Amino acid sequence: MSVPQVVFWVMAVIAVLGGFGVILSRQPVRSVLSLVAVMLALSVIFLLLSAQFVFAVQVIVYAGAVMVLFLFVVALLGPMRERASHRLPFHWGLSVLVLVVFGAFVYAQLQGIGFRAPDKLDMSLFGTVEQIGTGLFTTYLYPFELTSILLLVAAVGAIYLSRGGRTASEVHRQEEEDDSVA
Amino acid sequence: MPDYGQIQVGAGTLDARLVLGLAFILFLQGAAGVLIRRNPIVILVCVELMLNAANLTLIAFAAQLHNLEGQLFTLMTMTVAAAEAVVGLAILVDIFRVRDVDDIDELSELRG
Repeated sequence: MSVPQVVFWVMAVIAVLGGFGVILSRQPVRSVLSLVAVMLALSVIFLLLSAQFVFAVQVIVYAGAVMVLFLFVVALLGPMRERASHRLPFHWGLSVLVLVVFGAFVYAQLQGIGFRAPDKLDMSLFGTVEQIGTGLFTTYLYPFELTSILLLVAAVGAIYLSRGGRTASEVHRQEEEDDSVA
Repeated sequence: MPDYGQIQVGAGTLDARLVLGLAFILFLQGAAGVLIRRNPIVILVCVELMLNAANLTLIAFAAQLHNLEGQLFTLMTMTVAAAEAVVGLAILVDIFRVRDVDDIDELSELRG
């Protein structure tokens, strides 16, 4: 096995173990930290696949910023325990059934996968900031600008939902009471 | 006919099917978490896991096809994931200010 393959296998094992950590941890903090491990392992694989800029974004924005946001919220809300409650009696069975059917379907698709010949492109510059920037600001300028609008909407929505004073649910309850009085 | 599934990685090669298989496993793990776990925060975390698996397939095909569009699309996905996480967590914090929720099924006021 060549060095890239060894690196890939190590990172793949870390990612899969981290994925099990995400779904099996009892405490939300451990789930979030396991997801950080998955993301860092995936970022190394991105680097292997000559996606340098995406690697940097994954480490800084995703593992850095988004997951810290998750950690803040977990810390803010305090420990939560999951308790058995009245769910559908066959919930586990249904979940496993859905997963098995979906998994078998995708697995069958993976078996018959055929690859097209790669494009003729100079791979020495592939995935660099220069190429990504050229792509984002020429061909994909409009999608890029639309994502900025999306981020603005998300920021305004988050501020509205989490601002001080009355919460949105309390406002709703107040309106309901006003309606019942009137 | 050459095997186009082998991605040139530095000196060696990497089989694209392996990368897609890893993405498949990660996506299944995320889906399992969403279906089985009850904690709303853990469910959001599992959604992030699935988005990461999708990103991995995009990057793998970008490298296999020598086509940059997969990487550009990955950046868009990351933006959408960030927006989704921000709004989802804000909604959760707003709900938790009124009451404790340790089961996502308790949030059923909107069922009409």
